[in-house]
Amino acid sequence: MFKKILIANRGEIACRVIRTARRLGIATVAVHSDADRDARHVALADEAIAIGPAPSRESYLVMDRIIAACKSSGAEALHPGYGFLSENEQFARRVEEEGIVFIGPKHRSIAAMGDKISSKALAAKARVNTIPGHNAPIETADEAVKVARRIGYPVMIKASAGGGGKGLRVAWKDQDAFDGYTSCRNEARASFGDDRVFIEKFIEEPRHIEIQVLGDAHGNCVYLWERECSIQRRHQKVIEEAPSPFLDAKTRRAMGEQAVALAKAVDYQSAGTVEFVVGKDRSFYFLEMNTRLQVEHPVTECITGFDLVEQMIRIAAGEKLAFRQEDIPLDGWAIECRINAEDPFRNFLPSTGRLVKFRPPREGGGVRVDTGVEEGGEIPMYYDSMIAKLIVHGEDRSAAIARMREALNAFVIRGISSNIPFQAALLAHPRFASGQFNTGFIAEEYPEGFTTSAVTHAKPDFLLSLAAAAHRRRRERASGITGQMSGSEVRIPEDFVVVITGRDGRRDYTPVSVLAEGSALQVTVGDHIHRITLAGAANDIVMQGEFDGEPWCAQLERIGLDYRIAHNGATVLARVLTPRAAELLALMPVKAAADLSKFLLSPMPGLLVEIAVAPGQSVVAGEKLAVIEAMKMENTLFASQDGVVEDVMAKKGDNLAVDQVILRFA
Amino acid sequence: MHDINQQLEAKRARARLGGGEKRIAAQHAKGKLTARERIELLLDEGSFEEWDMFVEHRCADFGMAENKVPSDGVVTGYGVINGRLVFVFSQDFTVFGGALSEAHAEKICKIMDQAMKVGAPVIGLNDSGGARIQEGVASLGGYAEVFQRNVTASGVIPQVSVIMGPCAGGAVYSPAMTDFIFMVKDSSYMFVTGPEVVRTVTHEEVTAEDLGGALTHTTKSGVADLAFENDVDALLMVRRLFNYLPLNNREKPPLRRSDDPADRIEMSLDTLVPDNPNKPYDIKELIVKTVDDGEFFELQPDNAQNIVIGFGRMSGQPVGIVANQPLVLAGCLDIRASIKAARFVRFCDAFGIPLITFVDVPGFMPGTAQEYGGIIRHGAKLLYAYAECTVPKITVITRKAYGGAYDVMSSKHLRGDVNFAWPNAEIAVMGPKGAVEIIFREEKNDPARIAAREAEYRAKFANPFIAGARGYIDDVIQPHETRKRICRSLVMLRDKKIDEPWRKHGNIPL
Repeated sequence: MFKKILIANRGEIACRVIRTARRLGIATVAVHSDADRDARHVALADEAIAIGPAPSRESYLVMDRIIAACKSSGAEALHPGYGFLSENEQFARRVEEEGIVFIGPKHRSIAAMGDKISSKALAAKARVNTIPGHNAPIETADEAVKVARRIGYPVMIKASAGGGGKGLRVAWKDQDAFDGYTSCRNEARASFGDDRVFIEKFIEEPRHIEIQVLGDAHGNCVYLWERECSIQRRHQKVIEEAPSPFLDAKTRRAMGEQAVALAKAVDYQSAGTVEFVVGKDRSFYFLEMNTRLQVEHPVTECITGFDLVEQMIRIAAGEKLAFRQEDIPLDGWAIECRINAEDPFRNFLPSTGRLVKFRPPREGGGVRVDTGVEEGGEIPMYYDSMIAKLIVHGEDRSAAIARMREALNAFVIRGISSNIPFQAALLAHPRFASGQFNTGFIAEEYPEGFTTSAVTHAKPDFLLSLAAAAHRRRRERASGITGQMSGSEVRIPEDFVVVITGRDGRRDYTPVSVLAEGSALQVTVGDHIHRITLAGAANDIVMQGEFDGEPWCAQLERIGLDYRIAHNGATVLARVLTPRAAELLALMPVKAAADLSKFLLSPMPGLLVEIAVAPGQSVVAGEKLAVIEAMKMENTLFASQDGVVEDVMAKKGDNLAVDQVILRFA
Repeated sequence: MHDINQQLEAKRARARLGGGEKRIAAQHAKGKLTARERIELLLDEGSFEEWDMFVEHRCADFGMAENKVPSDGVVTGYGVINGRLVFVFSQDFTVFGGALSEAHAEKICKIMDQAMKVGAPVIGLNDSGGARIQEGVASLGGYAEVFQRNVTASGVIPQVSVIMGPCAGGAVYSPAMTDFIFMVKDSSYMFVTGPEVVRTVTHEEVTAEDLGGALTHTTKSGVADLAFENDVDALLMVRRLFNYLPLNNREKPPLRRSDDPADRIEMSLDTLVPDNPNKPYDIKELIVKTVDDGEFFELQPDNAQNIVIGFGRMSGQPVGIVANQPLVLAGCLDIRASIKAARFVRFCDAFGIPLITFVDVPGFMPGTAQEYGGIIRHGAKLLYAYAECTVPKITVITRKAYGGAYDVMSSKHLRGDVNFAWPNAEIAVMGPKGAVEIIFREEKNDPARIAAREAEYRAKFANPFIAGARGYIDDVIQPHETRKRICRSLVMLRDKKIDEPWRKHGNIPL
């Protein structure tokens, strides 16, 4: 076994690998860019080596520096994590040549699976189902139309080097195929420097289901069941689970066996993933093989009990797999939510900055948190927006869902925006709970994007009761203030009105009464009598207790005169008043929010890389106005309506804050 | 007897109706509450005891003799906020537009005098068209009587003004003399001369809102402390402010039990200050993570944002907080910031509220605008305020404390009681770069040498040790233990007492 390994990655995956290495008694070496000097993976590792400036192409992607770090630290092996150089054949080869063990597949296997077109040919040869399509690059738009007709619409046009949703088009008719081919090819050339494009059958109501495989250097290969990854937003996985609610035992075995056949065909010696698309009739087709550890590997670890990083290390050290296919358990149900630094209410734009608060739920009892950040840390703008993975394990799917809801309710992130409200809304969605979904789920359910009004709480009485109970607790605290006039001391009334303010500023008034009943409170809303308990110090955002006998966990903060309550994806602004104060509040006008349509505001913090217009210029709706760069993404801001630019208030090179005014229309 | 009671009830009913239902409806239509509705919101339910309901004006000119409304346009009395005594007057716009008559002024003076006798704060709810013109100089006299009482009460009892309608001309000077001013957006304004006069005299076109609205006074002039969406929000926030204020200058500020542990550790503060000394950070994170339950009552959040002021509690005890804000103008002290902080420091000192000062200040703002504007005199206000202040003073230098600004910001030399520094504090005459360019002027064309000198200067001065060696700071503390150390210091300072030499009053550079 190795004595020391280097982790050529950052963030949660670097921390994840360090955790296993430490358990195995292996010393760890972290590498880091200048932006990550104080990152968690650096603090956790036994040694840390700086490998360059913040941008990954000058640090985490520089092979020479990483190999030099291995040499100088004396690491015998290197774990690449995912992303960065993990599936770079040239890198794997160079590492091997330098006499360092690559904790991953051999470079030959990476090469064989690295190209979409050649991998499909290889899969077909190994008798793996492949999608009907044209397995050669397409040269002209006319040819694209011809091929599309032969396969039959709908078809998908894909860039060979594409992935993660980039370089993908769907065509339903000839015109689509013609246009899609052209734009796909342009994008491929610009983004990947590889303009090969191919076409295949588009599967309707497709699910993305992948098989985890493990192969060793001794010819053994097993599959560790599947992961259901159909909950995707713009082809990025959002929630993964294992097993899939869709597969039956027969399909599972057939997919597993094909995956193993493919792995064996490329002499696969590590953990890998064979991705399939599964149609509504349970027909399945090979998509691609990921020759690395996947982000979502923990759900497989939960249901099998195996530590995949440990298995990768053992395989790389030359050990034989210690189990056979029939030894692999499938225990319960696991779900993973990716926690991203992005703002779901602003079209998921990346969010960067300081983590003023970062309090994940407590681990244990079926809850696992893989993260690369901690409270007080900084989310740099240079890397991926995923900052943590929340994983739960339960005896069955509904238990796992319930546990995930609780865990999301308890996860506090402040200072930056996170997708937790969105994840909580998905977990609360009946269609998710039913298991009846495909990769179109998010686009279908949130066609207008995600807004607070897209989420309705299943039990509005709970939110009202919580607001009233929390307020009563504060009134109790106020009653202890010194200097009260005798005979006029604070009395805590029973009757309140909970006022919920909507996004448009409109107010909803609900009278409630609150009575102490031992340590609990009895809250009457209309004809319903509820019983609520609440625990958690006044300075804690997370509160928990029981509501009508059911445990709950929610987040509550005081924002001015309101309480902001977040629970199961719903967020409300509630104010608790005496009935008289509520009556008087009702006399107050509802003020319309300031008209911001005349301004172009920066939707995210980032660098203004381009201003495409000048004062006095007329623009039409859809015209490009400015480009902001954040988290390696260039985001183009378009005009939402026709108008004339009156003034430009920011200039190229400015670091913009959220909602900073960029320009004003006349 | 029965007859008298009937008359009494009739008079009360008449008084409660103010200017009548039509005018009340008009008031509501403007998004404003009536004088009595406002008092209901401000005080604990049912606690208001009204005085002088039967007062009427004594004007006989211009047909006023027949035009009398009991209460005469202002509702006065006392009540409690969270059980604590407070006197209040609330001008009634439905009666003669809330215009101030001699009798109206007398009612205000009466409760102010009583508040002084018993030692309780006065809250004024202002909604008045101005002087009762029919009364002429009697009305002006009334104003002056109120002004005099504002001044006599200043520093003896807390005074709070809420501007909830017009407040123009001489009328502005009563609120101006009180400790805190809250305003309501869109329905209140304050100015010495209105838009018409401005137009006639200076040919300037300006709306009342732009000239003296809530946003103007909370962002541009700094006259008001806070702006609110409506009457309800403003009044409920006055109740919250009241929880931090003592009843008078002889009484301790109100304590309120807190479950927030005094020794709470905040590890994330260790990474608050960026490694790069030129990179800003939000000082409010430190404040919020230091005070009880994260509750910070900020004043003037939109005026002179380079300095942050407000109230919080530490272990249940109210404290005043002053902090440089590196996010805005690098936290430099300028004219507006100095004035804003100086007045707050003096309020805390007058009412025995301990002061906590967080320092990250690169110096005073340079430039002709500042010098011509009198930064010397205005900066001196803050220096003066800190120097004369005798309440417990705790200072934490989080990063830069450069030059004269170091001295000003509650330094040891200005009788700071406990002066802490975080490990990366730099206490020096100026930043290393500037210092080296002056000391080694002859080497300025040799970048390598200058860089070396800068490194040398940084190593020597960009740390808390030189100041520590002289006792200018009492200890170097870790950021994460800031709350614990402040709480402990406050307990130690509880019975602090300083005797000052007799004088009539000092001569602060106004």
